[in-house]
Amino acid sequence: MLFSLIVANMKIIVRNRQALFWALLFPLIFVVVFGLFKLDEPGKTTIAIVDRAQDPVSKAFISNLGSIELLTLEQDKSEQEARDALKAGTISFVLLIPRGLAEQVQNTSSPVAITIIYDESRMQSNQIILGVIRQFVDQTNMALQQAKPLIELKPEGIQTRNVRYFDFLLPGFVGMGVMMYSLTGMASIVALYRQQKIFKRILTTPLKVRSFFAAQIIAYLLLSIVQAAIILAAGVFLFHGHVYGNIFGIFILVIFANTIFLNLGFIIGALAKKVEAANGFSNAVSIPMMFFSGTFFSTEGLPGIMPDIVKYLPLTPLISAMRGISVDAQHFWAYPSELAILAAWIVVTSVLALKVFKFE
Amino acid sequence: MESVIRVENLVKHFGPVCAVNGVSFEVKRGEIFGVLGPNGAGKTTTLEIIEGLQKPSSGSTYVLGIDTQREGGKVKERIGVQLQASAYFEQLTLREILRLFGGFYRKCVKPEDVLAKVGLIDKINATVGTLSGGQKQRFTIAAALVNDPELIFLDEPTTGLDPQARRSLWEFIRQIHQEERTVVLTTHYMDEAQSLCQRVAIMDSGKIVSLDTPVNLIHNLATPYQIKLACRARLPEEEMSCLEGVKKVVVDGDGHYIITSNDANKSLSTLLSWVHGKGASIEHIEVVPSTLEDVFLALTGKQLRD
Repeated sequence: MLFSLIVANMKIIVRNRQALFWALLFPLIFVVVFGLFKLDEPGKTTIAIVDRAQDPVSKAFISNLGSIELLTLEQDKSEQEARDALKAGTISFVLLIPRGLAEQVQNTSSPVAITIIYDESRMQSNQIILGVIRQFVDQTNMALQQAKPLIELKPEGIQTRNVRYFDFLLPGFVGMGVMMYSLTGMASIVALYRQQKIFKRILTTPLKVRSFFAAQIIAYLLLSIVQAAIILAAGVFLFHGHVYGNIFGIFILVIFANTIFLNLGFIIGALAKKVEAANGFSNAVSIPMMFFSGTFFSTEGLPGIMPDIVKYLPLTPLISAMRGISVDAQHFWAYPSELAILAAWIVVTSVLALKVFKFE
Repeated sequence: MESVIRVENLVKHFGPVCAVNGVSFEVKRGEIFGVLGPNGAGKTTTLEIIEGLQKPSSGSTYVLGIDTQREGGKVKERIGVQLQASAYFEQLTLREILRLFGGFYRKCVKPEDVLAKVGLIDKINATVGTLSGGQKQRFTIAAALVNDPELIFLDEPTTGLDPQARRSLWEFIRQIHQEERTVVLTTHYMDEAQSLCQRVAIMDSGKIVSLDTPVNLIHNLATPYQIKLACRARLPEEEMSCLEGVKKVVVDGDGHYIITSNDANKSLSTLLSWVHGKGASIEHIEVVPSTLEDVFLALTGKQLRD
């Protein structure tokens, strides 16, 4: 009996287009969008160079500058044209090399000024490039003075894998997808069944309503594994994402956290008077979580005490533990505090769901 | 005859509102029993208490000899319930829904057989959403038959249907009844109760105001007939209402005289000679027997409306 009820519930879910949208299309859109953009490679910056010196020193300077990968050089503009292009935003910097650079470098003891002009309103992105150019000028100075560097910074990356931002995002999309699908799906189905008197109709049969819910929850849990597998597969096979840790740990977390989202969906569905209200409520709960629980960026980037608050939301520990397993190849048990928060949510929402249910 | 339902002093309060106020009645095996009343009379609440869906504030209900307030679960195998305006899973086909619901019972009928009975066999692989209003109602009745029940409850089975669909549904209900099932239905249609039910309980404001066969209910009415008279000439109403057997005369919107009489035979003959004596010619005359509508009006002083 329970088996056929589970099968019937799975049919109902799979045949519901709206539920399918939230379950698959919505997270897959994110996978595709973030998979297509090359987020890890910063774009090139264009610099117009107005070389008034045209001597060996300026030529050497420009050719060395051109060897920096981040920069594209343009040398065919006059000063006025370059300034106009900067205002129009087609280039980011204008570099003015003064007349007689080679002579001045030889004969003057004070430094020679090379002017760099940039748009102050785009300070954020310019800062990096300015730093790069400043460093380049320092090196040129040392080379010209034939000075020996006394201190050298030796960069040594501890990251052994080539983790891309997309790999970081992928577990976030799984967590978000599971939440959206279970919360919205359960809330709307409970509200709908009540509105259509399907629960009441079941009460007139010998079937226990708790068996009906048990079947529904099992159906959702089974399908959430399929859902997580599809999202991960799309990320890995279509966009070369990586899952470094044990994938079963991710699935266990999905089931674990899904229990919370199903309970929350049930509570919302039971309290909402209409299906539309249930949809609205579940969006009001899930969309802020989607943004604040670390789907797209680490919660540490949030201002003030926000990181300390959001870590207690159910989606945050789910994503952070899944990310740990997926990206850092950590073991499932390496996240005791995350697991504890999830366990607490399971207990609280289960008790509330049972209370609401009795009230019905 | 054996009684399949016995209701004693049923009371149900919703906060300050008393939805059911001391209702008692019995339903005998094999009859079609109707509960007739306007919206808000307490029909659905009464039915849902009997079915075990709601708890009464006080009173007791016995279905098939079982106290449904104490052991409601026991009776569920043997009854079929159609709820007012309830739907079924939109994503499943009729066959899948009936198979699913059939699985809830120890005894169940094949989806094909149930659907054939209500004339929906060609829709077996369709979903509920593709059915018309009448087909949907027929399907909800089919779903109530899936466990081959001895007793079936139908809550306003024809509400919202067009006259043709209602009549075809009456046929299905009669057919179900002929399979030796007891049928309990609620309705706010007088003609439905009159044509389908063997006994009718008239309910108003949470109470049963009268309970009998439709024929008896009408015959016990003080004024069981109305004479409708159309005449080109203007007749004095005052004088007309003093004729033998005439209780009341009203002129309706079309200028017709509606004469209420408790003795149609006498009133009709005196009326005819009186009109003749006035030198007027009769365009149209008819004797209309009273309906449950009139019974309801006489009992409650209210019109029954859709």
